[in-house]
Amino acid sequence: MAESVNRKQLNRRMIIVFVVLAVLMVGSITLYIFSRTYFNAWRLNIPMTPLAFERIMGRTIPAVVGMVSASVIIALVSLSFQTITQSRILTPSMIGFDSVFIGTQTLLVFAFGTFTPFFQSPIYNFFVTSGAMVAISLLMFGSILRRSKNNIIFLLMFGLVLSGIVSNGARYIQALMSHYDFYQVQAATAVTVMNMNTDVIRVAVPIIIIVVVLLLINHRTYDVMSLGAEQATSLGVNYQRQMTYTLILVSIGMSVSTAMIGSLTFLGLLVVNAARELIKTHRHLPLFICSAAVGIITLVLGSAAEQLLSGGIPIPFIGTTLQVAIPLTTIINLVGCTYVFYLILKENRI
Amino acid sequence: MIEVKNISQSYVKGGHVKTLDDVSLTVREKTVTALVGANGAGKSTLLGAMSNVVQTMSGQVLLDGVDVRKIKTSEVAKKIAFLKQIQQISIRITVNDLVEFGRFPHCGGRLKDIDKQKVNEALDYMMIGDLRDRFLDQLSGGQRQRAFIAMILAQDTPYIFLDEPLNNLDIKYSVEMMKIVKKLVTELDKTIVVVLHDINFASAYAGHIVAMKDGKILSEGYPDKMITKEVLNPTFDHDFHIIDHDGKRVCLFFDHNQ
Repeated sequence: MAESVNRKQLNRRMIIVFVVLAVLMVGSITLYIFSRTYFNAWRLNIPMTPLAFERIMGRTIPAVVGMVSASVIIALVSLSFQTITQSRILTPSMIGFDSVFIGTQTLLVFAFGTFTPFFQSPIYNFFVTSGAMVAISLLMFGSILRRSKNNIIFLLMFGLVLSGIVSNGARYIQALMSHYDFYQVQAATAVTVMNMNTDVIRVAVPIIIIVVVLLLINHRTYDVMSLGAEQATSLGVNYQRQMTYTLILVSIGMSVSTAMIGSLTFLGLLVVNAARELIKTHRHLPLFICSAAVGIITLVLGSAAEQLLSGGIPIPFIGTTLQVAIPLTTIINLVGCTYVFYLILKENRI
Repeated sequence: MIEVKNISQSYVKGGHVKTLDDVSLTVREKTVTALVGANGAGKSTLLGAMSNVVQTMSGQVLLDGVDVRKIKTSEVAKKIAFLKQIQQISIRITVNDLVEFGRFPHCGGRLKDIDKQKVNEALDYMMIGDLRDRFLDQLSGGQRQRAFIAMILAQDTPYIFLDEPLNNLDIKYSVEMMKIVKKLVTELDKTIVVVLHDINFASAYAGHIVAMKDGKILSEGYPDKMITKEVLNPTFDHDFHIIDHDGKRVCLFFDHNQ
């Protein structure tokens, strides 16, 4: 029958997509390593000795681990967040999660000074920060989602106001600080993919693995939840508890990834929707895997490109080089932003 | 057995609106019970509360003598299936996958042979076995309706609560739907409670009618006792004309002579 062919085609498509993504993933990681080692050596005209290679790899591998784990966690929390809010356009960072991160860091330094272990030690800092984020997000999402179920406009408004208040408050407190404290806060909050906080990785990776496992084992429950709150409840899902559980995991995931590679507002949105388009399924397990893979490729390939282009592009025959310096974050946000517009216009709703 | 004991529910919208006001009801077993009443009478809220989908402020719903709120959600789902008015769901999904969701309370999504068998039975019973690989958005309204009922059947519960199942269905499919509902009671011994807007459907297919107004149950009973001017006029604030047709009562909503 035509329809079952249809379904088989979709399954075959899924397999092809996964194979291609796996190849791309390995390829982009290889390219990234190449760009930081041999390519750099070639550009600077120095030989690549095994010793130098080993040294560079010592810095490159944590960076790869950081990017991979951050993409995985961002993809997973974004998808589960979209499922519990029943929206294809929301991501946790769009409702002010990252401003809460900056706010907490600022408040920590302001209240206790830069030498407090709460700020200095990545472990303490992480627990305080994510604790604050979990508390705040549970407070706001819990109360909003409980009272006006899935009122996305209200949620967006609330997030907008919250991130406005928090980031302005943080900026005000930063203005009151000493120069030294201010730079410390800047250093802690101005992390990007290129300027990763590698201290945090050792703490972050185990936590990310735990959160990933906790989200993955619930993939069937998320499948049911995508039918909507009432139907899911009728099918035996304790929706309220599952939502709280997911929000806690989302908060933890967002705080780890923000602490590690900074805020990537649109990455989650981009990879989750790309995954939906690529494998066209409602099932969360393949969606989780696919969006994580797309996230890894985006970040790693983007970073490799940024490395490769950082010396400028030589233009043949003219003998000059075209200087390009476009931070990866900017590109992701630009593409993501355009994509949000496209989604809103296409679906004609938020 | 499902007993509703003194439940009240209100929500804040402008003022304090009571949607359910001290409602008590015992669901009659192996019968189609129709909840009728004007808009905002609290029918859907009552049905939601009975399915433990809507939280109530006070009172309790007893499932076989136990408060449903004290039973695990997954256990309630093995006894009560609730279907909201057939909505356009946001995900693109095949009939087969939808019906498989019905087995979730039993297998947590990991389908065993028995679950697959139940899914097949439900699809066959609703005569949509040949549509199982179609996506819901490729189906007609009536077929989609059948797919959702098949999901409820796969859930394999003694109680089935349907919230306005005739919404957005044209007359042909509405009649078909009510025939299915009746068949579920006569053939499969289900206990069904259904929210209906059209009193004539209630009159023709229900074995028990509950009339609600302003969050209260005004009266309940067999259709021949309920489809009368004395009961319906105050329930709907409207002057009905009731005629007999082949032993069933039919309501006329307007009178040409007036």
